Amino acid sequence: MSDSTPQTSAPAGPIVAGLTPAQPESVPAHPVRARWVPLWFAVLWANGKARVGIVMLVGFVAVAVFAPVIEPHDPQSQSFDASLGVSGSNLLGTTAQGQDILSLLIRGTRTSLIVGLLGGVFSTLIAMLIGMVAGYLQGWVDEILSFFINLALVIPVLPLMVTIAAYSPVRGISLIIFIIAITGWAWGARLKRSQIITLRTRDYVTAARFAGDGAIRIIFREIMPNMTSLVVAGFMGSATAAIAAEAGLEFLGLGDPTTISWGTMLFWAEQGSAMLTGAWIWLLAPGIALALLITSLTLINFGVDALSNPHLRGD
Amino acid sequence: MAYFLRRLAFFVLTLWAAVTLNFLLPRLQPGDPARSILSRLGQNRSITPEQVKAIRLMLGIPNENLLLQYWHYLGSLAHGNFGLSYSNFPAPVSHLILQKLPWTLVLVGVTQIIAFVVGTVLGAFAAWRRNSRFDSVVSLTSTFIGTLPFFWIALLLLYVFSFVLGWLPNTGGYGGPPIQPGLNTLFLESAIYHSVLPAVAILITAPIGWIMGMRNTMVQTLGEDYIRLAWAKGLRSRRIALRYGARNAILPSVTGFAIALGAILGGQLLIEQIFNYPGLGNLMFQALSDRDYPLIQALFLFNTVCVLLANLLADVLYGVLDPRVRRGGSS
Amino acid sequence: MLLEVEHLSVDYAPKNGAAVHAVRDVSLSIAEGEFVGLLGESGSGKSTLGTAILRLTERPGKITTGSIRFDDRDITNANAGELRKIRWNEMSTVFQSSMNSLNPVATVEAQFRDVIEEHTALRGKAVHQRAAELLELVSIEESFLRFYPHELSGGMKQRVALAMALALDPRLVVLDEPTTGLDVVVARSILDNVRRLQRELGFAVLFISHDIGTVLESADRVLIMYAGQLVESQPANGMLRDPMHPYAKGMLGSYADPRNETIRITYIPGRPPSLLAPPIGCPFAPRCPEVIERCHTDAPEFLPLAGATVACHVARDQRTSGTATTTGFAGPVFVKTGASTASGDADVVLRVENVEKTYTTRRGMHQSTVAAVRDVSFALRRGQVTALVGQSGSGKTTLARMITGVERPDAGSIHFGQTAIHQLGRRGVRSYRRHVQMVFQDPFAALNPNRTVGYALSRPLRNYRRLSTSAAAAEAAALLQTVGLTPPEEYLGKYPHQLSGGQRQRVVVARALAPDPEMIIADEPVSMLDVSIRAEILELLDRLIRSRELTILYITHDLLSARMLADEVLVLQGGRLVESGPALQVIQAPTDAYTVTLLNAIPNPQARIAG
Repeated sequence: MSDSTPQTSAPAGPIVAGLTPAQPESVPAHPVRARWVPLWFAVLWANGKARVGIVMLVGFVAVAVFAPVIEPHDPQSQSFDASLGVSGSNLLGTTAQGQDILSLLIRGTRTSLIVGLLGGVFSTLIAMLIGMVAGYLQGWVDEILSFFINLALVIPVLPLMVTIAAYSPVRGISLIIFIIAITGWAWGARLKRSQIITLRTRDYVTAARFAGDGAIRIIFREIMPNMTSLVVAGFMGSATAAIAAEAGLEFLGLGDPTTISWGTMLFWAEQGSAMLTGAWIWLLAPGIALALLITSLTLINFGVDALSNPHLRGD
Repeated sequence: MAYFLRRLAFFVLTLWAAVTLNFLLPRLQPGDPARSILSRLGQNRSITPEQVKAIRLMLGIPNENLLLQYWHYLGSLAHGNFGLSYSNFPAPVSHLILQKLPWTLVLVGVTQIIAFVVGTVLGAFAAWRRNSRFDSVVSLTSTFIGTLPFFWIALLLLYVFSFVLGWLPNTGGYGGPPIQPGLNTLFLESAIYHSVLPAVAILITAPIGWIMGMRNTMVQTLGEDYIRLAWAKGLRSRRIALRYGARNAILPSVTGFAIALGAILGGQLLIEQIFNYPGLGNLMFQALSDRDYPLIQALFLFNTVCVLLANLLADVLYGVLDPRVRRGGSS
Repeated sequence: MLLEVEHLSVDYAPKNGAAVHAVRDVSLSIAEGEFVGLLGESGSGKSTLGTAILRLTERPGKITTGSIRFDDRDITNANAGELRKIRWNEMSTVFQSSMNSLNPVATVEAQFRDVIEEHTALRGKAVHQRAAELLELVSIEESFLRFYPHELSGGMKQRVALAMALALDPRLVVLDEPTTGLDVVVARSILDNVRRLQRELGFAVLFISHDIGTVLESADRVLIMYAGQLVESQPANGMLRDPMHPYAKGMLGSYADPRNETIRITYIPGRPPSLLAPPIGCPFAPRCPEVIERCHTDAPEFLPLAGATVACHVARDQRTSGTATTTGFAGPVFVKTGASTASGDADVVLRVENVEKTYTTRRGMHQSTVAAVRDVSFALRRGQVTALVGQSGSGKTTLARMITGVERPDAGSIHFGQTAIHQLGRRGVRSYRRHVQMVFQDPFAALNPNRTVGYALSRPLRNYRRLSTSAAAAEAAALLQTVGLTPPEEYLGKYPHQLSGGQRQRVVVARALAPDPEMIIADEPVSMLDVSIRAEILELLDRLIRSRELTILYITHDLLSARMLADEVLVLQGGRLVESGPALQVIQAPTDAYTVTLLNAIPNPQARIAG
């Protein structure tokens, strides 16, 4: 008996509930298997694309964690000859300042992952807070919060970032994470708000009120578990956007140019006229690394998509 | 009718919010914003009295009542006085913006519209032939390109086609003197020649969002019951695909366009910086490195107003396209 | 023969799962001008069959074997181009009324124009004329041609769909649950339209439905489907007099005319089999009260027998060996006599007096007001069931919300004992809820899909009766026992998706009983359940009322179940109480015109064989 059940009988567990049409009486009762991984993870792992993505992501995390051990040289040392090509001691060559590209690349993994994680987490938390409060309480609270959501959606992000960076006395990763968090939450907030509005009118929420449960308990024990897939998908999207945004901001020089990250590598590549000197590896490597990391998250997102939108399951 | 009025109200309110944000940003720094800016300026160069005057004009007298400053600020905006640029002192900021506007407008206008059309057509087609070879190729390619940082693609294009192959120029909007800007063929030729690389960079990445968005929406639309009934009616595929499918599926993309405009302007900034293209994005970037605060502020405001206008337009368009929105409710 | 289906099988085969055999080896035929009814419950495969006949089956569905012949042409594998010749021209359809079957961005006229211009030479004004003519057939004014679908009510949309289906004078119209979800009176008018037009224009009809009364009243011949197969096919009159298959007997037994003095409705215990693996032997055997040994091992074939076609060993044996045949379903019966169980001097538990509620909706600039409830007064007595009968928009839901404290009336009063419900603050409402509970309509939405049965039951036990975890678990088990879910330990850990609709409703009832309330508001508790199992829940409710002296407000649009449970009936129309009285009296001798209309809308199939 296969793990996943066919489309026309019972759906795969609690995750896709709320989307089922009138069910036939012929639902066979099968026992709930004990799981030692959360259900959503198991569903993700079952999806081929998501599985590849998860493996890739784990690889990146490993590289980031073990960076000081893996990297062949100290990324900050400028002791090598400048603008070398591929050579024995510098597998990917060196920059115009004499730094080893491979070491820079490995150490830069940390920045992207941290920004992705923190930026994604903060964006998602803000989105959840604002979206869910607006959706659950409704009334004038909702009107005001919705206005802010729409406002945040409309304001052009990069010009805002440039403006903030212009005035800010501090530059660096924390500023970038801050900017990403306060500009990236709007889309997710809107989605969560509409999801909550749909869920709060469900009969089981009314039933919970009739059973004497208070609002807090209802939000956390009744509604939240039904929103897991949306929240996970939202986090994935935010993390991806954060990584891309960080690279763009560093590239423009809005971050701290002494940070070691893939974005700053591209910044220095442009400053150091990599194109003129033909140092194409310097140009290529950080971009490919970014692409691969974003690809891994996008692949995982395929699995999350299938979780929340049955239409897109390959059939 | 009510729908349109509501959108207009939102436009006005958001405009006010953006203006206020612009006002507040520099004042969020602790202490006297003018002094901290002046001190930062004074680090690298000497400040002329005119520059001090320009800053005071923009940021107001210290310790003056905040609300009074706000009132003055609103007043000067209403008069179209955005201040004087002090990297190009005494040129008024509005003058500079208007000068560079056509470059950005043409590049963005042409490429984004093409991207939208091409993207939605490809996406609709991919959804129509779901899971076919065409769909797989389109979806996979789009997803792949979508993971690449687009400014990096621009860099690569610049490197390959300008530096390595030398086919296309690597900087500027046109060839420079002796070519004079104006409606002469020499200038137009040169301008087009210089815009090819930036345009190609945009055209590679911009359609991606539309392709995937339209494909997903269309797949969902094609599962609707009115599509089934259209088949049962024996209508031709093309009619079903266009009048029943795409016509319904395109609605979210229209709102999506408005929302994406903010991102589009941001992307434009990156493109112009990379290709040294003389548009508004490049101007903003210059202003950033020159610490030309009046210019930065005005550009931010300008960007926001453009996005708002585009949103309003998109909302109006949506109202026109979707009868459920402009004629509500059932009898 | 206009339509001939032979040994048709349709499977759903998703990429990552086992195949579901939705339709198995079905053979049927429809003659010119014949009105054929296809009866079946959820999971029977009737809609899949209808979709297959129309050649609209989509991935992952697939016709695996068999053939479909229309007018002697094999259309089983025809492509879109070939099908275009017969689509709408000769074979058209009307979908289920709750579906979104009209293009939302095109006007009504545009939708007619589409199909008329595709298949005929008419253009321009002539098309408009023809569309107007068609709308007139279903009594809709020409001016509605310029409206968009979302501006029409559900009933109007269905009438438009019907008119559109007749646009090209087809020879066969497939109606797939066309009146489900519609107001009873509206549904009646649509069906009358269908029958009238069928007689006038002479097209054949395949009417797919689960509504026994309607099908038996209108059809010439009736087919019954179970677990993907046809089990019986008979002329309607024959079916009414002498149903052969035990399932057919069960289906017919679950339908009765509420106007009769004594009503017996049967229910079929158990559930249909899973369609993942075709059962060995007769699919109905596990639930059949007349089952014999052979039924478990030999799958019966669908063969002619005494003027009908049946797939049943028992029926065949009875008729060939001359033993007495049974017409009634030999299973459990729920009986209601004319004797009144109401005692007029029971205590009043809830008193509703002159209650009013108006809703104002604001859309942008202008407001619209809807008077949902107008000057309604009634009383609920201990141990009695009061049925609140009304269609959608009648105000019954608003009344329920006011009685349970979810909303406040704009005028009037509601008293529960001495407590004034309409004036309660939040804390007051919370303690009031201990005494009044709700049973909801949709068994799929009433239980949180992420919470077990045990959790759902524990909440009211912990909150209201302050039981400890272990005491609550024991009490939850006892409650499950009361509602007939045994052994209770098996159900406590289950998630809703593992239970059938009937089982879920039992859990919902158990949860409602948990705080030991005096009053229960039951909002259409059986309307979303299959007809053949409704009586089971009704009997459960009846038993609970008698044993616990519960007061129930039973909200419904279905007069049969109202009659089965209620002592008193209140009829609501447009927010006003138009009639009230003892159940049998209201149903047999209504005084208000609207009540009369409601009663006339009830199908009366027995009339065709009476006399």
